[in-house]
Amino acid sequence: MIRFQGLTKRYGALTAVRDLSLEVRPGEVYALLGPNGAGKTTALRCLATLLAPSAGSVSVGGADAATHPLEVRRRIAFLAASMGLYERLTARELVAYFGRLHGLEGARLEERLDGLVDLFGLADFAHRHCGTLSTGQRQRVSLARALVHDPPALILDEPTLGLDVLSGRTIYDFILRERERGKAVLFSTHQMEEVSLLADRVGVLASGRLVAEGTVAEILERTGAPNLARAFLDLVEGAP
Amino acid sequence: MSPWRIVLMKELRETLRDKRTLLVMIVVPVLLYPVILIVSEQLLLFGMRRIEAEAATVGVVGDAPPELEEILAAREGLRVVPTPADPVAALRGDSVGVVAVLGPPSAADGTRSVQVLYDGASDRSGRARRELSAALDDWRDTLLSRRLDARGLPPDFARPVAVSDSSVALPRDVGGYTLGRILPLLLVVITLLGAFYPAIDLAAGEKERGTLETLLTAPVPPRAVVAGKFVTVALIGVVAAGLNLGSMILTFQTGMLQLTQALGLEVSIPLGSVLVIFLTLVPLAVLFGALFLGIAVRSSSFKEAQNALTPVYMVVLIPAMLPVFPGIDFGPLLAVTPVAGVALLFRDLMTGDAQWGLAALVVASTVVYASAALAFAAAAFGNERVLFGGSDDGSETGESWWERFRTGARRGRVPSADAALLFVAGVAVLFFWAGIALQLRLGESGLLAAEWLLLFLPAVAFVVLGRFDVRATLQLRRPPPRALAGALLVAAGAAPVAWGIGWLQTFFLPIPWDVLEGLEDLVTADTPGRLAWLLLLLALTPAICEEVVFRGVLLGGTRRLSPVRFILLNGAVFGAFHLSFETAIRFLPTAWLGIVLTWVVWRTRSLWTGVLMHGVNNGLIVVLASVPALRETFADPEAPPPLWLAPVAAACLFAGIRLVATLPHPLTDPSVPPESEEE
Repeated sequence: MIRFQGLTKRYGALTAVRDLSLEVRPGEVYALLGPNGAGKTTALRCLATLLAPSAGSVSVGGADAATHPLEVRRRIAFLAASMGLYERLTARELVAYFGRLHGLEGARLEERLDGLVDLFGLADFAHRHCGTLSTGQRQRVSLARALVHDPPALILDEPTLGLDVLSGRTIYDFILRERERGKAVLFSTHQMEEVSLLADRVGVLASGRLVAEGTVAEILERTGAPNLARAFLDLVEGAP
Repeated sequence: MSPWRIVLMKELRETLRDKRTLLVMIVVPVLLYPVILIVSEQLLLFGMRRIEAEAATVGVVGDAPPELEEILAAREGLRVVPTPADPVAALRGDSVGVVAVLGPPSAADGTRSVQVLYDGASDRSGRARRELSAALDDWRDTLLSRRLDARGLPPDFARPVAVSDSSVALPRDVGGYTLGRILPLLLVVITLLGAFYPAIDLAAGEKERGTLETLLTAPVPPRAVVAGKFVTVALIGVVAAGLNLGSMILTFQTGMLQLTQALGLEVSIPLGSVLVIFLTLVPLAVLFGALFLGIAVRSSSFKEAQNALTPVYMVVLIPAMLPVFPGIDFGPLLAVTPVAGVALLFRDLMTGDAQWGLAALVVASTVVYASAALAFAAAAFGNERVLFGGSDDGSETGESWWERFRTGARRGRVPSADAALLFVAGVAVLFFWAGIALQLRLGESGLLAAEWLLLFLPAVAFVVLGRFDVRATLQLRRPPPRALAGALLVAAGAAPVAWGIGWLQTFFLPIPWDVLEGLEDLVTADTPGRLAWLLLLLALTPAICEEVVFRGVLLGGTRRLSPVRFILLNGAVFGAFHLSFETAIRFLPTAWLGIVLTWVVWRTRSLWTGVLMHGVNNGLIVVLASVPALRETFADPEAPPPLWLAPVAAACLFAGIRLVATLPHPLTDPSVPPESEEE
């Protein structure tokens, strides 16, 4: 569903991502693990068509991000760490706005909104301005917003950054549920427990390169480390 | 619904929920303006009435004859007070409004001189002076008619010419004239303010809140996002300006203001003119909307955008203020000047003097500028570097500008564009003020000192103290002979083009004869010794000092931009440096020379070619002015350059460019180190 083929992204003399190739299948959760500055956000932004690759390609469901960006955007839900919301729109208005941008209208849109309000438990604050919502409520609105068009692929850039345990739990439940529904989920993180808990496969990114890939067990086996944190440190410190 | 309309509807909904925007858009024009106008009018009228309600005090020094005393006593507005011992101190201390100092009667015919002392900085004293003058006129007329009577002459004998004047302007003309002075500025400012906050909020605000990323992953093309946002901003600008226009006109036109009646004005602008004013506001709002959006989206936060837009606001105010000044005739050049054309068209529409040709020119040119501004905004929305940082200036690391300046210097070899531009701006201000002072004090030697002390020395200090690589920044590379030959040819071809530009501008700009004569005197030598001095002063010195600043530091700092940008920028800055209080006539020719010099220095990668060209160009002017036969041909600014010069100049320019272009290209030559701070 999601495929990176030799993706390279340069900013001037700095190379943020180097020759990255990986694939995420439908119904699979893939964790992109890496320290700050490893190139995770850049790679995901290339996938989300926000950045143009310097070399290589990224595609979703066969649509290339560089040549068919709108097609790619229809097939993905993108959730960034910032989770910015429009403060002066109500939660329902905000989700509806993105629904309209995705081509939903009239009864179909209303039906979808009702479904999302139920799914994410937004009913109590659906008519409140987003500026007045708590962090947990904002997060649920963000998830509803990302899922409004029910795309086959989900891209989550450090989705639990700055969240408490309870809010983090909402995200975990969300990811697992979407996997059940056959979605391809690609998320970036630098937290080991998230990887162990959620990911079917993990890719370790260091200095823009994919230095290891596989299931958690495979990575432990290859590095000979007692746990993922140790394996991660060995891989990152061993990277050029 | 099309995507841009979805964006528009959402932006409008959100913006209309923003108290700040509503305040600027609706509350200020609809309520605040009439209230402020009425309150200030009441205060003014109150003050005027208070001054008029009490009698003005007058003191008389000298021997006042009884008939004058009678006249003074008879005037209601005047009250004679005891003569102060020190009239000047009494006037300054406000204890007397006006003092009449009477001289003794002349021996010949008894004529008396009267000096009226008053305080020009006091409204009370001004009014007392008017009252006293009227009383003195009465006295003079009484004495005159007595004299004429005594000689048996008719009363009109002393009045061989009877002058009376009256304005043919109707009260409504005067009203339109008065309104036409003030209202254009207000309308432009309100349109601008209307677009100001929404532009920041919709661009930089969206970036700061982290929503832009989400928005741009929706399946809509960036141009639809820009279009929706831009229409919102422009619409709010138009509505704010429209409401303001309506509110102002209603305030004046309904006779709500007593001041207009008190001053004998009648404000009545024809409905057609109001409509045209409103229609002209639309492209203006479009221009501001697009320009502000394009600038704001390049900023990463609300505050940064506010800082970036404030100077634009200030610059826009200057052309908008033109209608306030008297004696500005609205012509084609002003009509195509951004903002100025709109403001002056508003003025003429209010006074009823608008010409439709000029109006069409204003609307058409504003539409062109607005389209350019829109392209500028759209380019930003399509640019990932603008949208998602790529900010490598250290602004995210919390370093101070000085730390960034120093680390930038260590990492890179040349100053950043910001640092170079800031330096040139500082040096230009220093040269302008301190340079003038030096020239006034020391004359020609002052000019020499100014060039070396205020241009050369600071430039060298900047490069050395900033620890930049002197050779790389200033490009002190020895040029190959081909580069020098090419540079000479380009200079020989570019100079006549500059004269041609100078001549062409005389059709649009007034010729500052005083300045040109002064310049001609300066550059004309009558002895070989004087010629040598002038060549040192006017050719060699600027060739070195100005080149080090403009093609040295400025080009060194801006070389990372695209060539078109840094070449045009350098030309514009060089032209602006040659502006003066008296005239703008030197801007275009020097900007042209700056462009040519920058291109040659960049392509030859050597400052020396610029020094050579600059010296040759200036030296040529000195020589032409100093040889009488040549002076005849070239010195008249109103005469075109000789026709034979055109093919010669074109040939030189062409050959020079060809020759320089054969040198290795700075962008593709592998031996040239890349211009990057990351090195």
